[in-house]
Amino acid sequence: MRHPTDIERDKKSISTLVELTGVFEGIASMRIAQIKNQVLQATEFFNDLWGIYSQLRVDSLFRFGRSQSGEEVLSKDLYILITAEGGFSGDIDQKLIKAMQKSYNKDKHDIIVIGHHGAMQLAQRGISFKKYFKLPSKDKNINVAPIIRYVQQYQKTTVFYQQYISLMVQDVKQIELSAAVQQQGEDSEEKDKKEIITADNTIFEPSMYNVIDHLERSMLQIAMSQLILDSKLAQYASRFRAMTASHERAEESQGDLRLEYNRAKRAIKDQRLKEIINGMRKSKAAA
Amino acid sequence: MAKKEDIKPQQQDSNIDKKSKDEKLPTPDEGMMWVRVYSPYQSYFNDQASSISAVNETGPFDILPKHHKFLTLLAACELVINAKDGEEKIKISRGIMYVKEDRVTVFLDV
Repeated sequence: MRHPTDIERDKKSISTLVELTGVFEGIASMRIAQIKNQVLQATEFFNDLWGIYSQLRVDSLFRFGRSQSGEEVLSKDLYILITAEGGFSGDIDQKLIKAMQKSYNKDKHDIIVIGHHGAMQLAQRGISFKKYFKLPSKDKNINVAPIIRYVQQYQKTTVFYQQYISLMVQDVKQIELSAAVQQQGEDSEEKDKKEIITADNTIFEPSMYNVIDHLERSMLQIAMSQLILDSKLAQYASRFRAMTASHERAEESQGDLRLEYNRAKRAIKDQRLKEIINGMRKSKAAA
Repeated sequence: MAKKEDIKPQQQDSNIDKKSKDEKLPTPDEGMMWVRVYSPYQSYFNDQASSISAVNETGPFDILPKHHKFLTLLAACELVINAKDGEEKIKISRGIMYVKEDRVTVFLDV
């Protein structure tokens, strides 16, 4: 049996681990609450913009804000993968890449990857990508303009991302970006009151088409930011789950060590008691 | 990104009861407009005002009550809002302004 002082040392380090995992669990849960709040705020903002855009639309086509640019659109499709920055994301990034590989054809698709972990995973699989972006560490004012500039060059963009379903469940999803914008808009649309905004009843500056392009770019940016936030939410939830499991394991170990420590102490006491009784017996026999 | 010169606590809809079901912003008092300035993650102003000044591609302009429906892309400038309790200045880098029926919505950081 180990000596109680050794067990005491282990007990101390385990209790530090229990505290640390508890703190990380708390941080992850706090970040989850913050991001959920931001997603709600941004959704309200998006809905208001969509309200204007849907009244402005001259037809149902979403033009990715490029109707006035005159630039040629690439015939390839763009895949955007939103993955974790570090390696502590469990196996969800592998699942994401597997989901992408089901439809990936290097002659028909270009890939942009967000997050270092995803870039590493793609490189390990020998899949080349056009551009890598770091996953933003901050959760507010994410600048997605450089990504949207790529999006505007392609006829179609599909985003593969991690979706937060609940604290215990995160899933891999894919969505076409223009559909993501329209889906968000349709969720907010109040179909009974539709007023058309035209040049006849509204003053536009600089012009109606410039405003439409700008609105489309803005909504793409918000939709893209929302997908990034959704992925981050899933990553925090995954981390929270891992920390909860570690916390429980550490608490179990702490309980086991406490038991072992008490047994060891009791064993020492018993040993001493035996020695005392034996000593007394011997001294009695000698008398 | 928008920066507020005079830091004040985020204002809530004080006239929330005035909001009708069909309107996003509450109905302003006579001779006033309801102005809301916000970005995806922050609200900068949400109250009544008698005027709002900004700059677009054409140049500086003012919006007063009874203005015609107006939709414009804003340039980097300082929004000046004449609110009930004084002048509010908000520095912006870009935005969209929508004016309709004495309600002004300014979307920032878009």
